[in-house]
Amino acid sequence: MATSIVRQSLFRAVAKPSMLRASAPGLMLAQRRFVQTESMTPAENISYLNSQRQHRPNSPHATIYQPQLTWYLSILNRITGVALSGPLYVAAMAYLLHPVIPAIDSAHLISIVQDLPTWLKGSIKLALAVPFTFHSFNGLRHLGWDVGKALTIKGVYTTGYAVLAATAVSSIYLAFFV
Amino acid sequence: MFRPSASSALRSIPSSSRLVASSAPSASRAFHATASASLATPAESKSAQVKEFKIYRWNPDTPSEKPKLQSYKVDLSQCGPMMLDALIKIKNELDPTLTFRRSCREGICGSCAMNIDGVNTLACLCRIDKDTNKDSKVYPLPHMYIVKDLVPDLTHFYKQYKSIEPFLKNDNPPAQGEFLQTQEDRKKLDGMYECILCACCSTSCPSYWWNQDQYLGPAVLMQAYRWMADSRDSYGAERKEKMQNTMSLYRCHTIFNCSRTCPKGLNPAMAIAKMKLEMATE
Amino acid sequence: MDRRRELSQRWSWIIIEANHFYNSPLASAFAQMQKQTACDVFHVSSVSVNHINLSSSLTPVPSTFFCDRLFAAILKGTVNDATSFPSPSKSHGSYHWAFERVLSAALVPVTVGAAVSTGSAYPIMDGILAISLIIHSHIGFDSCLVDYLHPRKFKLVGPLAQWLLKIATGLSVWGVYEFNTNDIGLTELVRRMWTA
Repeated sequence: MATSIVRQSLFRAVAKPSMLRASAPGLMLAQRRFVQTESMTPAENISYLNSQRQHRPNSPHATIYQPQLTWYLSILNRITGVALSGPLYVAAMAYLLHPVIPAIDSAHLISIVQDLPTWLKGSIKLALAVPFTFHSFNGLRHLGWDVGKALTIKGVYTTGYAVLAATAVSSIYLAFFV
Repeated sequence: MFRPSASSALRSIPSSSRLVASSAPSASRAFHATASASLATPAESKSAQVKEFKIYRWNPDTPSEKPKLQSYKVDLSQCGPMMLDALIKIKNELDPTLTFRRSCREGICGSCAMNIDGVNTLACLCRIDKDTNKDSKVYPLPHMYIVKDLVPDLTHFYKQYKSIEPFLKNDNPPAQGEFLQTQEDRKKLDGMYECILCACCSTSCPSYWWNQDQYLGPAVLMQAYRWMADSRDSYGAERKEKMQNTMSLYRCHTIFNCSRTCPKGLNPAMAIAKMKLEMATE
Repeated sequence: MDRRRELSQRWSWIIIEANHFYNSPLASAFAQMQKQTACDVFHVSSVSVNHINLSSSLTPVPSTFFCDRLFAAILKGTVNDATSFPSPSKSHGSYHWAFERVLSAALVPVTVGAAVSTGSAYPIMDGILAISLIIHSHIGFDSCLVDYLHPRKFKLVGPLAQWLLKIATGLSVWGVYEFNTNDIGLTELVRRMWTA
């Protein structure tokens, strides 16, 4: 092993271009090109580049990016919005079936809810109150930014934590005390 | 010959290979001096702090091989304080095939932008976390096409920058002398003109991840606003008119990853918010 | 050739000395030295360092969420050609943005008003709330589609999703209108279910 290292090292040492240039100028004359080049037109060049681009991998993004309040609250805003709007759309469209299925009306729905056990009622209310309060408070935060308020990193973080705190307090109040 | 007690003064001999080589006539002396000096180092060296670095690797010569994280171990007591120092050390001593861009090593060229421990930043401005129990993960800028290892293809980013015409446009230059500007007007450019176009912010933006072919991204948008806000430029209305579509500007959802990650401490999200407000109220 | 041989001899001599140390207890210290003295002679030691304590292993990179390589890899024009802008339209730009903000801001007093009044007492207010919520939802859904399912990337699913959204929004407006005129109305429904 030692010998192989010596040989390898020797090769690297001797092959060092700076050494050759400095210590053995005569060797420069004996150098040969081992790389061949061929000329391409600009069009060929760009199509070759584009063929290479086809094979390039896309670097990882959401899976490796650090979890930060900024983009986590942003995607949460979207998720909560969809979580509220989805049921609204479904309920509104379902009522169109009322002439066909008369059971789809407010009286039946309310009686179903009344018959649910208390713990389930509380859970459902919490599951609706959290998206509603978060989306509302974070919406206010966004409106503040849109008129030019709190547009600094400090502002982003203070308002972000304030929104989370307000969401926690108000959603618990709405779910269990209203 | 090699005595551990060699004087430390010898260690201050310029250590670049070019320098040693150019003193070739006295080469043997140089070798002796440096060799003995370095062998003297152990007696004074600090205890080893070996930290693991996991670095994204992909080689275009074998494109079918999937990108991998390759692990390197570096002794921090023998390495400079910045991530770039570690990368250069790995390239010099462990793996010369490791490929990354770097130039100024002082945060002004923007070459060494990459994702370090999940955050986009310049390797030369990012301190190595001294905790040797945790490894450091180094990825290229997120959601970019990779040329090799840590080198992303920024061609499209530059083409987008060109599209906003990042230069002064004014059809009525002053009759003599230069454009004059009040101090207040000049102040409006502070925090925007300093951008070095490293692309850290744009590639931290989820909107840019999903729609970068049409959405301009924070870096380019802040530069667009930099010219809108310049009192000497008379093409503000035309510049804003270009942004009047769904994709170029309005894919910004004020996420703030850009301002959070900017290694120069700039605030692209604020510039974009001001642009949107001006466009809506004018 | 003489110079070269001389050089090789000089080098090998140093290498042998270096490897003597490599095998000695000072090995790890020797491994540390070469970053301080990066001159040619210590490229020798970097080979040894590889063998000593600098292992390298390979682990897979986490895969990406979306497979969206199909559109962006090929760029139009050369590196010197700027990207182009879509044709300008304020109704897709600043008007759309401003309308979205004004509507969102208006939802605040409307929602508060609905919460403190009864829907059946103020049917107009109830109707405004319901329609505003649906338009607000439509803009939000549409924004999701533009971000994640844009027709330029998803040639079939993209346009399909946009049409489905338009139909769903239309049906929802109709459904809410029916509910508010024939049943107790949105505000009253939420209130009674919440306190049921």
